[in-house]
Amino acid sequence: MAQPIFPKWLNSARLVILAVLAGGPVYAVVLLGYGASPKTLNVGYQPDQPVPFSHKLHAGDLGLDCRYCHNTVEKAYHAAVPPTATCLNCHTNIHPSSVRLAEVRKSGETGEPIPWVRVHKLPDYVYFNHAAHIQGGVSCVSCHGRVDTMEKVHQVEPLSMGWCLECHRAPENHLRPADKVFELAWKADSEEAQIALGLELKDKHNINPSTDCSTCHR
Amino acid sequence: MPPLTEQSYWQSLGELAGSEEFKKHLENEFRDIDIENPSSVSRRRFMQLMGASITLAGLTSCRWEKENILPQAVRGEGVIPGFPRRFATSMEIGGVSRPLLVTSRDGRPTKIEGNPLHAASLGSSDTFSQGAILGMCDPDRAKHPTADGKEKSWDDFFAAIKPVLDAQRGKQGQGLAVVSEATSSETMAWLREELRRAFPKMTWIEWEPLGLENVFDGTAMAYGAPHRPHYDLRQADVIVSLDADILGLFPDSARLTRDWASRRDPDAAMNRLYVVESAFSATGASADHRLPLRSSQIASFALALEERLAGRTPKAGVDAKAMQFIDAVADDLKSRGGRVAVIAGPQQPAIVHALCARINDSLGAVGDAVRYTAETGRVATGNAGLRQVVEKMNAGSVEALFVLGANPAYDAPADIDFATAMGKVGTSVHCGLYSDETGSRASWQLPQSHFLESWGEARAWDGSWTLRQPLVKPLHDTKSAIELVAGLLGRTEPTGLELVKAAMGAKLGTNDFESRWAKSLHDGFVAGTAAAPVAKPAIARFEAAAPGAISTDADGKDLEISFVADTSVWDGRFANNGWLQELPDFMSKLTWDNALLLGESTARGLGVDQGDMVRVTLRGRSLDCAVLLMPGQAPGTGALALGYGRTKAGTVGGDGEVDPVGFDAYRLRTSTAPGFDVGAKVEKIDGHYPLATTQEHHAIGDFQDTAKGGIQDRLKQLYRAGTVADYAENPGFANSAEVIHHPELKSLWKEHEYDHGHKWGMAIDLNKCVGCNACVTACVSENNIPVVGKSDVLKGREMHWLRIDRYFKGDANDPQAVAQPVTCMQCENAPCEQVCPVAATMHSAEGLNDMVYNRCVGTRYCANNCPYKVRRFNFFNYHKDLKDEKNETLKLAFNPDVTVRSRGVMEKCTFCVQRIKFGRQVAKNEGRELRDGDISSACQQACPSGAITFGDLNLAGSAVAAKHASPRAYAMLQELNVKPRVLFLARVTNPNPILVPKAEQKG
Repeated sequence: MAQPIFPKWLNSARLVILAVLAGGPVYAVVLLGYGASPKTLNVGYQPDQPVPFSHKLHAGDLGLDCRYCHNTVEKAYHAAVPPTATCLNCHTNIHPSSVRLAEVRKSGETGEPIPWVRVHKLPDYVYFNHAAHIQGGVSCVSCHGRVDTMEKVHQVEPLSMGWCLECHRAPENHLRPADKVFELAWKADSEEAQIALGLELKDKHNINPSTDCSTCHR
Repeated sequence: MPPLTEQSYWQSLGELAGSEEFKKHLENEFRDIDIENPSSVSRRRFMQLMGASITLAGLTSCRWEKENILPQAVRGEGVIPGFPRRFATSMEIGGVSRPLLVTSRDGRPTKIEGNPLHAASLGSSDTFSQGAILGMCDPDRAKHPTADGKEKSWDDFFAAIKPVLDAQRGKQGQGLAVVSEATSSETMAWLREELRRAFPKMTWIEWEPLGLENVFDGTAMAYGAPHRPHYDLRQADVIVSLDADILGLFPDSARLTRDWASRRDPDAAMNRLYVVESAFSATGASADHRLPLRSSQIASFALALEERLAGRTPKAGVDAKAMQFIDAVADDLKSRGGRVAVIAGPQQPAIVHALCARINDSLGAVGDAVRYTAETGRVATGNAGLRQVVEKMNAGSVEALFVLGANPAYDAPADIDFATAMGKVGTSVHCGLYSDETGSRASWQLPQSHFLESWGEARAWDGSWTLRQPLVKPLHDTKSAIELVAGLLGRTEPTGLELVKAAMGAKLGTNDFESRWAKSLHDGFVAGTAAAPVAKPAIARFEAAAPGAISTDADGKDLEISFVADTSVWDGRFANNGWLQELPDFMSKLTWDNALLLGESTARGLGVDQGDMVRVTLRGRSLDCAVLLMPGQAPGTGALALGYGRTKAGTVGGDGEVDPVGFDAYRLRTSTAPGFDVGAKVEKIDGHYPLATTQEHHAIGDFQDTAKGGIQDRLKQLYRAGTVADYAENPGFANSAEVIHHPELKSLWKEHEYDHGHKWGMAIDLNKCVGCNACVTACVSENNIPVVGKSDVLKGREMHWLRIDRYFKGDANDPQAVAQPVTCMQCENAPCEQVCPVAATMHSAEGLNDMVYNRCVGTRYCANNCPYKVRRFNFFNYHKDLKDEKNETLKLAFNPDVTVRSRGVMEKCTFCVQRIKFGRQVAKNEGRELRDGDISSACQQACPSGAITFGDLNLAGSAVAAKHASPRAYAMLQELNVKPRVLFLARVTNPNPILVPKAEQKG
């Protein structure tokens, strides 16, 4: 008698194979959907910080300029997180003994840095330059959202490459006059007005954001 | 293969002979992979693995890792996180300081350049200083004091040494000996005298295996007192080098190279360089005429030249070839009105230096092209001093021995057994970067601070006082040598800074000291301290021994061995530096080893071949080593590079567990003949040694045509050279129809216009390049290029983005050599881009051929399609050692501006795109447009001869645009119509018509 082409155990495995065939595409769709979802890209990521620093209070209610603390943003790649000394400029006099500032005082005394938790993170192979964007007229709000209304900072935009390119291909949607860059609440009167203004600024300052690979990767 | 004509270039002896090995290299860039049978992994297994990795891909990294930002509690003035800052400092090798400018990122040094303000550098540097970044981060460095292998503290040491010193104080230091590396530090001199006051009878010597005693002894013979020679090659029309590697390993060679190159422009009056040497050096390759001659006959050559200059016929027998050379050189020297320089190498005995001084004097060169400064305050150096100390040690009269920075247990001459003598010393202390051959024998091994971690000062070759400032706090529990000596004097409080300031204050005076100090620290040197040349010194009478015969022929019976400084590890001190070990030697292209270099005819006479193991016997001592055939090595001579065969260098250069790299030539080198010795016997022994030379790697050729001599035709097009006569006849000779023949070039694509915006380009002047490797090391440091190790170099996997091709021309025993740096040409019609299936290599609007590592899937199609063979593939994760905790410090050596590539990724030169971006940011911050010279690539910045020019071709008046417009400019492989952005400027030599056969006068 001729040998059967398929081994016998395949009969019982049929169910598994069918399940894989049926489930595979669903799995693929879910995997891709999940991978590309803003949640995976960390939108909304809002870690606890060692010091309950409120951007809403400082940048919003008190109206401190972003650059009082992030003073390297116009010159350098990093919008550096300020040294403890910047906090203590005011807080040696204001709330000098507040419990919430204990970590800051400790850092000031010992010289040990405050371990802030990074909210906005790009992959290591991306070299983002804050200064280039600020000088070009892109406001903080375009990437970081209304930090001045956030009690605790969270990520607003996906910070994905596609999202970066949206603006690099059409910067007019985000360009604003130099004096409005750090005014997070500022908005053009309408979407059309923004585009018109953006195009005008783009032309005036010769802004041609590059979409070459080496612009960000090297 | 048809016989090679005198006119064609060849790359190696393998090619010349049409060896199978070379053909393999041509056919297969990465040769261990069999092209025909792609993979041993079956297709099925591949599908299984791929399936599994796709499934698993979704499970990893659902979230970013939590990451902390740690700002400084107090940010220093002027500090911008992530923004580079530059500090001037200096590095001292053998008592000569090299002025440097070091880039610091977030508190650590990341890149070293020459100090642009100092005349000895003007911004250029060399391999040794470039490699220092890795040297500082070396995880094998000594980290804390040890006594008999047990970890101790500095307090323990000072407590233990106190009774020893107290005992010596009673004896006025009779039993105290100090062996220091050569240093020109005034602080050390001052502390040494302090110590001498406390211990008047102590012995203090300086020891350098590659010292300059011959230079000073020779000038002492000639002028009655030691003098330091300075050569101003800008003023020299004719330069004669007698075994002097002035453009490679020579004190002050950065300046010499620049000055020499400044006279290599065929549109102006060119200089002419004659080189007489035994081993082929970078200088020999740059020469207009080179005479391979035994080092031991160079003294006779100098005498004969002097005789001939005086119009007399040389007494001793000089063979026809040498006589013709001497005649030509002498007539040329005499006709230049004193605008000449005759220079001897430091390995030549004092008499040769004295003769050179007398020749220069008689030609009227002294005062212009040759100048002297007085050499005073020299400490006893050299073999004599070391011998004295070792005799004392053996006699048991040294009770306390201090070795500062030197490593005599390894590099002392073979007849001065320092290592054994150490056993007879009561207390021996070694202060060095590593627990090396000396340190591991000493009772106390003290870790020394790296120059990037410590304060100091030293004299550059021109005598100017350069400062050394730390770029980072010592990574380990280390002290600098001056801090240690101060500690021995009981000065435990002062830091290096205070000591240096005290020493300088004593010299400079207190008047306005702080502001002078601040300015000097900023500039890197004290202004106006370069030594003033002595007015033309009078020649003293001295007698040279009777000259011997001069013969340029092979004579295998009486083999001469010369001991040469190594282009990678110098005297062995850089043996644990992977960047330098993997650097192909200028001429032999050998990495990770030294070998006995023999000329082809000499080797044939001895019956040995490339890679054979031989036993070299010299004065009763023998050394087993491998043979490397070196075209142009003088007949009857062999050359051995020093600095290899280390047994306690570390995990790179060899320690107890890791086999030594190369062969220890010091075992043959005696104090009587440290430069070269005659009478060696070479016998073949069993074994074949794999030599990792890169000379045949990345060969550009059409392998199908190899049999028909296709590569020979092509080499003429790759490297184009002519003579001044050719240039005068047709400045565009490099692009003449004789050289290039191809149909009209038509593009398959609609070509991109680069008429506005930046258009980056590069020009490499082959007339200036000396092949010194400074650019290659600079590129490694700037671009985080991994070290792959010897076994991978043997497979053709070295990762250098920039390689220097070296070609020969002519007779294998006396060829000309040329060097050609090749890097990514950033082709406008880049063939690599067209074959990448994932668009990982793309063209930028400014004409850069971008490489996107995070997209690359490693098909290697691009490398296959690259006609220049400049793409490099990460066959392994060459950085995986970094995960090892003990290698933590290695991470500091990386440039944070450049991605660290992992396994399976292709990489190549980017034109230093990170520097372009940074230059642009600086210009923006200053509110201006980019200017020419704002941006320099790492290779360009390091180059001592200014051979590399980088810039914007669209910028009117830019230096690179001018070079591209030169009639000498040519594109390599232009017939492919890839439109490279790197153009070469053809070499134009300035041969002496008398020495060129009529048929050859047209190059």
